[in-house]
Amino acid sequence: MAIQTILVINKSGGLVYQRDFVATAPRLSSNEYLILAGTLQGIVAIASQITPKSLQIAGKGSAKGGVEPAGGAAAPLVPYVGTLGATTASGTPMGSFLGPDYFNDAFASCNGRGLKHVTTDQNSLFLYQTLTGIKFVAVSTQPTTNAMAVAVAENLLRKAYCLYADYVMKNPFYEPEMPIKCELFDQKLGVLVGQL
Amino acid sequence: MDASQRPEMTEHQKQQLQFQLFQDSLPKVNEIVYRMLLNEAIPMAVNVQDRLSEESGGHEDNETEQGLEQDLDAKLTFDPLKDHVPSHKLLQKYLTADEEYQNKVDERLNNIGFLLGQKLSQLLIFSNNPSLNFRDMDLLAVMKFVCRDVWRQLFGKQIDNLKTNHRGTFYLLDNNYKPVESFALDEDMSQEEQTLIEPYLEIPCGVIRGVLDSLGFQEKGQVICTASITSDRESQKTGSSASSRAVLFNVQINPDR
Amino acid sequence: MSASMSGNTASSSSSKKSLKAFSDDIWKNKTAKINAELFTLTYGSIVSQLCTDYERDFAKVNKQLYSMGYNIGVRLIEDFLARTALPRCDSLAKTSEVISKCAFKIFLNVTPQIGNWSSNKDSFSIFLDENPLSEFVELPMDAARELWYSNILCGVLKGALEMVQMDCDVYFASDVLKGDQTTELRVKLNKILKDEIPAGED
Repeated sequence: MAIQTILVINKSGGLVYQRDFVATAPRLSSNEYLILAGTLQGIVAIASQITPKSLQIAGKGSAKGGVEPAGGAAAPLVPYVGTLGATTASGTPMGSFLGPDYFNDAFASCNGRGLKHVTTDQNSLFLYQTLTGIKFVAVSTQPTTNAMAVAVAENLLRKAYCLYADYVMKNPFYEPEMPIKCELFDQKLGVLVGQL
Repeated sequence: MDASQRPEMTEHQKQQLQFQLFQDSLPKVNEIVYRMLLNEAIPMAVNVQDRLSEESGGHEDNETEQGLEQDLDAKLTFDPLKDHVPSHKLLQKYLTADEEYQNKVDERLNNIGFLLGQKLSQLLIFSNNPSLNFRDMDLLAVMKFVCRDVWRQLFGKQIDNLKTNHRGTFYLLDNNYKPVESFALDEDMSQEEQTLIEPYLEIPCGVIRGVLDSLGFQEKGQVICTASITSDRESQKTGSSASSRAVLFNVQINPDR
Repeated sequence: MSASMSGNTASSSSSKKSLKAFSDDIWKNKTAKINAELFTLTYGSIVSQLCTDYERDFAKVNKQLYSMGYNIGVRLIEDFLARTALPRCDSLAKTSEVISKCAFKIFLNVTPQIGNWSSNKDSFSIFLDENPLSEFVELPMDAARELWYSNILCGVLKGALEMVQMDCDVYFASDVLKGDQTTELRVKLNKILKDEIPAGED
C-alpha cells in the first residue's frame, strides 16, 4: 500500500494542507480539493448521526462501566503497528519526540462514530480526527478493507499529527486555521511517507 | 577547541562524568515548555510595546471621574483575555513596525537575556563545574565558558566554533541554533524573514552580556554583542540536514578603562 | 507495506495501565528534559522584565502573563494530544485527573493535588505543592500584594482547555509566595462548547 495523497483539514472544514506523493496521483484543481475537504467534513458529521441509536447507547454503557484504561472512556483502541520505518535507530531525528518511535502503545480513536475509512475499487481513504477537530486524511493507491491496513493508516496519520505538533504548532509565524506553508513539515512528512 | 589538552583528559574526563551525573540528578522539566516559553517571549515583548505605546498615546490626560468609573467597571467585570492578541498577529505587527519600535522590542528581549545571564552564571559557578577554574581565568577562558557551559545549559549543545582576534573581538558560531530549529524558512531568506528572525537572536545576546557582567565586565558599553543569521555553508557541504540554521554571535569586549 | 509488525500483540494489555504509569512512561522515556532551575530562572527574568516595563503595575503584569500563557496553551495542547492521544474526558473529574497526573507530569514533572470541588461539580482546585516556576522565588512586599507570579499557568490551561471545547475560568486563589498556606489554582467550567466538538466523537 502506498500513500498517494495526504490532506489536513482544519476544524471548520477548510483544507489547510494537501500534498501528493506519487506522480500518478490524479490532478485535482485546488478548488476540487477544497470541495473534497468540505465534503469530508460534512460526511463525518452525517456518518456520526446515522449510527444506529442502539449502538450509541451500547457504546455509552460500556464506556461508563468497568475499569477505565488510561485516560478515559473505553473508546475503541487502535493497535500500535510498529515503527513503520520511522525510527531514531535509522538515524532520522524526530524533532522533540524521543525515539525509538513517536509513540509505542495502542491508542484510543476518538472518532468512534464518525467516518474513518472509505474504499472504492481503486483507492482507500483514511481519516484520523483529533480532539481539537483537525482531520488528517490519507488516500492510498490500492483499495483495502483489511483491518491491519486501517490500523497502519491510523498510526501513520497520528505520526503526521506528531509532526504537525512539532513543525506547525511550534512555528510562531503559523496562523492557526490557515493553510500550512511550512517547509520542515513538508520535508518530514515526505520522509515519514517515504519510509512506509 | 581542546586539542592541546589531550594529556590530562582522563582525570578531567572523570570529573566531567561526575559533574554530568550531578547535573542529571537535578530536578528537570520538559524541554518543550522551556522552548515555548523562550520563544513566546518574543511576541510577548511586542505586546508589551504595544500596550505601553497605547497608554502613552492619550489615555492618561483624561483622568476624569468617568475614567475612574470605567476603571472600576473594568475591575468588576474582569476578563483576563480582554484585548488579547494571538502571537502570530504580534509578530506580524513587529514586521510592519518602524525601526524605533523594533529596537525597543529587541532591547526588552535583550534585557530578559541579560537578567537570565546574570543568574545563570551564578548557577553554573556554584554547581562546581570541574571545567571552571576562576583563579587564572583570562578573557579567552571566560569566552570558552560561555561557549561550552552556558550554551550547553541553554540549548543542550556547545557553540560550534569560536574565533578571536585576541584584541577583544570574538566570533561565536552556532551551526544549529535551537530556538529557530522548527521554523519554516526558505533556504535563501527574504528580507521579511530576516527581520522576523532578528528578535529571536536577542535573548542569547543578552545572556552573553549578563554572564560577562557577572564575571566582572560591568562597565556600561564594555560588552557589545550582536548576532546575525548566516547562510550555512558548512552543513550544506557535509550534506547534513538542511534545516540547521547557523547564527554568528559577534562579541566585542573593550578593556577596562 | 514493509513495516515490521512484530512484537505488538502485547499492546492491548499495556494500554490498560493506569494514567499515572502511562504518564510516568512518557516522562521517563519520551521526553527531552532540561534543568528545572534554568526554566525557573528564565521565567523569573521574563517576569522581572515585565515588572520593570509596566512600572510595577502588577495588574498589568498579571494580564500579560495570562495572555502569554494563553498563546502557549492553544499550541501546547496539540503537542499534548499528539503525544498522548488521550480520548475525550467524559467528566470534569476525569479532566482534572488528566491535568494533574498527565499534563503537569509530562510538562513540569510535578503531580499537583486536585480538590475543593464545588457542590455541583463544575469547579475544582489544583494545589501546587511544588511549582517549578517559582522555586526559590521571594517576592518584594509590593509585588506580594498584587502579583500572581505564576499567572502564566492560568493562561496555558485556559488556552488548552478551550481548544478541546471547554470554556473555563482559570485563576489563582492563593499562592505561597504571598504568604498563603497553599498555592491554589481554581478551574471553573462555564460550559462545554458543544457546537464545536468535532462530529463523530462518542
